[in-house]
Amino acid sequence: MAKKIKQIAIYGKGGIGKSTTTSNISAALVDAGFKVMQVGCDPKSDSTNTLRGGKYIPTILDTLREKNNVKLNEVVFEGFSGIYCVEAGGPAPGVGCAGRGIITAVQLLKQQRAFEELDLDYVIYDVLGDVVCGGFAVPVREGIAEHVFTVSSADFMAVYAANNLFKGIQKYSKSGGALLGGVIANSINAPYAKAIIDDFVKQTQTQVVEYVPRSVTVTQAELQGKTTIEAFPESEQASVYRRLAEKIANHTESKTPAPLEIQDLREWAAKWADELLAMETGEVRSQAAAI
Amino acid sequence: MSKIIEQPRFSCALGAQQSVVAIPRAVPIVHAGPGCSGKICALIGQGEGYAGGSTIPCTNASGSEIVFGGEERLRGVIDGAFKVIDADLYVVLTGCTSDIVGDDTGRVTRDFQDDDKPIVYAETGGFKSNNYVSHDVVVQAIIEQYVDKFKDEKATLTPGLVNVFATIPYQDPYWNGNLAELKRILEGIGLQVNILFGTESAGIGEWLTIPQAQFNILVSAWPGLEIVKRLEAKYGTPYYHFPYLPIGGNETSKFLRGVSEFGGLDPVKTEAFIRKEEEKFYSHIERTADFMLEFRYGLPRRFYTILDATYAVGFAKYLVNELGILPAKQYIIDDTPAIYQEAIRDHFRHVSELRSAEVVFSVDGGEIQAEIRGEEHKHRSLILGSGWERDLAREIHADLLPISVPITYRLVLNCGYAGYHGGLRAIEDIYDRVLDTYR
Repeated sequence: MAKKIKQIAIYGKGGIGKSTTTSNISAALVDAGFKVMQVGCDPKSDSTNTLRGGKYIPTILDTLREKNNVKLNEVVFEGFSGIYCVEAGGPAPGVGCAGRGIITAVQLLKQQRAFEELDLDYVIYDVLGDVVCGGFAVPVREGIAEHVFTVSSADFMAVYAANNLFKGIQKYSKSGGALLGGVIANSINAPYAKAIIDDFVKQTQTQVVEYVPRSVTVTQAELQGKTTIEAFPESEQASVYRRLAEKIANHTESKTPAPLEIQDLREWAAKWADELLAMETGEVRSQAAAI
Repeated sequence: MSKIIEQPRFSCALGAQQSVVAIPRAVPIVHAGPGCSGKICALIGQGEGYAGGSTIPCTNASGSEIVFGGEERLRGVIDGAFKVIDADLYVVLTGCTSDIVGDDTGRVTRDFQDDDKPIVYAETGGFKSNNYVSHDVVVQAIIEQYVDKFKDEKATLTPGLVNVFATIPYQDPYWNGNLAELKRILEGIGLQVNILFGTESAGIGEWLTIPQAQFNILVSAWPGLEIVKRLEAKYGTPYYHFPYLPIGGNETSKFLRGVSEFGGLDPVKTEAFIRKEEEKFYSHIERTADFMLEFRYGLPRRFYTILDATYAVGFAKYLVNELGILPAKQYIIDDTPAIYQEAIRDHFRHVSELRSAEVVFSVDGGEIQAEIRGEEHKHRSLILGSGWERDLAREIHADLLPISVPITYRLVLNCGYAGYHGGLRAIEDIYDRVLDTYR
């Protein structure tokens, strides 16, 4: 019997650190002995760069643009420790339909039975932004990923994108779509940032999988075109990513989140803005007031 | 949830490609998926014309044009069209996919316009409207992007010159015959006529004189209103609106008198023409009245119309008032916007001094046929519908005159039902079917 492939999708607002996080998870999983494929679902097509020494690979859509029949070896490239790297690709900014592009690319991988052929343990999709259209929701839909994780900082726009993703998951949850594993809290250094994310996951009935601090180690590694796991395997940051990868590997049960309605989300954000302002101006509130 | 309709009697917005085909030496360039243009030809087209049917250049936009955008492909097809098709006007029309994806068709077209090429574009994505509406969009695009650019700036208003907007070519299968007759009778009362489409049009040169017209004439229930209103706002050209197709002696004379009065034409000349035409028209009816009043195997006693509003009102007035056939239910199938429905109902309410008719606005051919089928058919009926009514007509032993698309079982050349000639032709066609029942 064929083994069960674990398919995971990682979403988040652009620039929040999805690709960095995803690549480090892939690297940690491959180090732990698993066979991993990372699929970048972003027209920028740089998801797998740090797995391949900072180099771009030809994308599925670029290859499809050239010819109708595409073979797996033309779009799957090996990266760090044998991680299979794929980039869906997409149109130039401002033209065409990137969402349709993602659908086409994912369908091609399915048609070519890429996952079975390569005897994979993990497929990790690194997907752009919030759920902007049906195309970007493809990895959430039936038969693709089972677990979705979202990368978010404590920044309101990132939380907004995460909440939108939760709406997408909720929509497809009734028809066999992927469910939410939890939030990967990124760039969490200040204590209030942790509090904000903790409050958000509580409101939306999910969990934080791991808190990832902002670190110059990551920047240094990326400047070398590498993941932190590859460049600084002994660093504290690498151990954070390893811990995260282990949690994802052991994760079995995902749930339907309870996204906030837009008005509730705004009120929630306004409440936190007041808290932060009070903090800035030195006002003493809540628990601290009792001291 | 969206509702499924059976047998719609019009096309999607891209159907306006047929309006372009109807302009002499004009060619549509279609930026749509494979099959869109061909299906429209199959539904409403008959004959390829100058560069219609399978000649129409098309991007056949598929997966790659959707994902990466189809602008470059469109540019290539336009480039090719200029090389291989010798035409006076090229009209770029978009289908659903390119409009959804958001291809900037305007920018691509403007690059060619900047080289003074005779080319215009209109967004006719199928989800936007049907072709009753998009016909207006295409006509306005030609006026705004071509006529305004190339018209003679020094030309002044030409007294007696009129632009006629009547019928939607091919959506009205008898468009060419109808336009020819309208031109003939309007010239008869002394006007110089820009008919714009078909064999009687001088082509795109005629379009360039649109701004010089003394007034515009709209013969239509509601399609085309946007065009004449726009022209009024743009060039200050007033318009005369006759809200149905004039068929036969009564209504055609009424139409001509209306036009004559509106345009301040010589009433003596108008009346002289009307008298001459009516004499000829009624002499034929008098000659055959004995047969039309009584026929041993029966005559149609009542009629159903399953037509657009312009035809439905025109035929109803003619059949009731001049041929004595009574109206059964009247079905209007052109997806009439709500604001125009009351005026149309009112025409049927007063279809003659003594008669009124019930009107149903429906775009669902299946529903309409089921309703007619369910009625009691004691008398022989006449159905003015489309080719799709053939089975129904057989079932209820009715005579069928296919007026609407899909016309399917008729070849149409210069046949038309407008005016005096059209009135006679209608009689020939209706009573042909009566004679066909000879045993």
